[in-house]
Amino acid sequence: MDGPSALERYLESCSGQFKDDFSTSPHLFTPMSPYDVELPSRTAEDVFGSQFNQPEELHPDFSSVDLSFLPDVTQDNKERGLCEDRHEMPKERGVSVQRNEDSGVFTDESSFSNPDATQPSPETPGVSPHLSPMTPVTPVSSASESSGIVPQLQNIVSTVNLACKLDLKNIALHARNAEYNPKRFAAVIMRIREPRTTALIFSSGKMVCTGAKSEEQSRLAARKYARVVQKLGFPAKFLDFKIQNMVGSCDVRFPIRLEGLVLTHQQFSSYEPELFPGLIYRMVKPRIVLLIFVSGKVVLTGAKDRSEIYEAFENIYPILKGFQKPS
Amino acid sequence: MAYQLYRNTTLGNSLQESLDELIQVCGCVGSAQESLDELIQSQQITPQLALQVLLQFDKAINSALAQRVRNRVNFRGSLNTYRFCDNVWTFVLNDVEFREVTELVKVDKVKIVACDGKNTGSNTAE
Repeated sequence: MDGPSALERYLESCSGQFKDDFSTSPHLFTPMSPYDVELPSRTAEDVFGSQFNQPEELHPDFSSVDLSFLPDVTQDNKERGLCEDRHEMPKERGVSVQRNEDSGVFTDESSFSNPDATQPSPETPGVSPHLSPMTPVTPVSSASESSGIVPQLQNIVSTVNLACKLDLKNIALHARNAEYNPKRFAAVIMRIREPRTTALIFSSGKMVCTGAKSEEQSRLAARKYARVVQKLGFPAKFLDFKIQNMVGSCDVRFPIRLEGLVLTHQQFSSYEPELFPGLIYRMVKPRIVLLIFVSGKVVLTGAKDRSEIYEAFENIYPILKGFQKPS
Repeated sequence: MAYQLYRNTTLGNSLQESLDELIQVCGCVGSAQESLDELIQSQQITPQLALQVLLQFDKAINSALAQRVRNRVNFRGSLNTYRFCDNVWTFVLNDVEFREVTELVKVDKVKIVACDGKNTGSNTAE
């Protein structure tokens, strides 16, 4: 899934450079099958070639370039491709490497948007891109490494429907670790120690579970709360469990020039240091909000799925690298 | 109306038992008594009077604790369970150390029932 989408993005950006239809911002990539894309004026290889100052070659020699992190169309090929070019493939590295091609896309856009614009038109009109499994279609400059950083999930918010009306006072009186103050809030606030979570249980039978560090833990915790309610005598069920929000955080390990970032990414950023010390970056695709701090710490929130967090971080990492504070 | 919280204390329970003894036959005419040898006391006080005594006890103990108690005790332990309902907190702590300047008391388990200190809100919480 990451492969085609990264490819799509890259290919869109290529066509965008000539049509000026698409900006180089991360969000304007419509999902298309890679095989449907026909580049108007240049193939991926040409771009790749020009990327590496090999303009003469229509079919550049890739052997000298480290292509192991480039995505393949299929998962199998991805694994094989990654394994071939690297001696070792620790899984985490592979995953982060695979995600890097997204970041690679963005670093490349700016790099070849001007100098290479004039080249390719005459060369290969109407040749559809080679999309054989091992073909590197997403050129990444060898200078940009994979971020190698995996955001850690810090909080998961989920909801579930117990599908029966509940007597909150009864629950508060008989359950352990429960608070019920109807004047202040119309729900019972219950906590369990394992997984360490808090639940808001409403009289309608709906419940919100917060504080878990993984999707499975959130589900397990919600089930435990449902069992507590069930043991108190209510006919509780476990309907429509859904994760509503996921929060992750990580550290890029270098200080960031937030002022620079807000100047260039005005449409997405809001930075009011007198109000809040972090820059609020609202990424459009995936729809994630990132809090970026001068120290290099990044908080990502608004995800419904873990992959959105990872994708958003891989998208932002090269941008942040571009705004590293020189020290 | 003062909190009836303190009726379930050593002092409050002793008072309640004594009052029960004084009411006895009067309140429960014709019904079997648990301790028949207490038939000595009969009709010394009415149940209504006993209730008034308890209400007065509530007022007295609340004002005494508020006005006449000056010492301070610190305690520390691990929280086992908590509950908050009807504006009453109930805690169960384990391995608690009650520390006063003079002495130290260690307990395995302590149950704490706490009501709001402002005493403007609910009153009949126990």
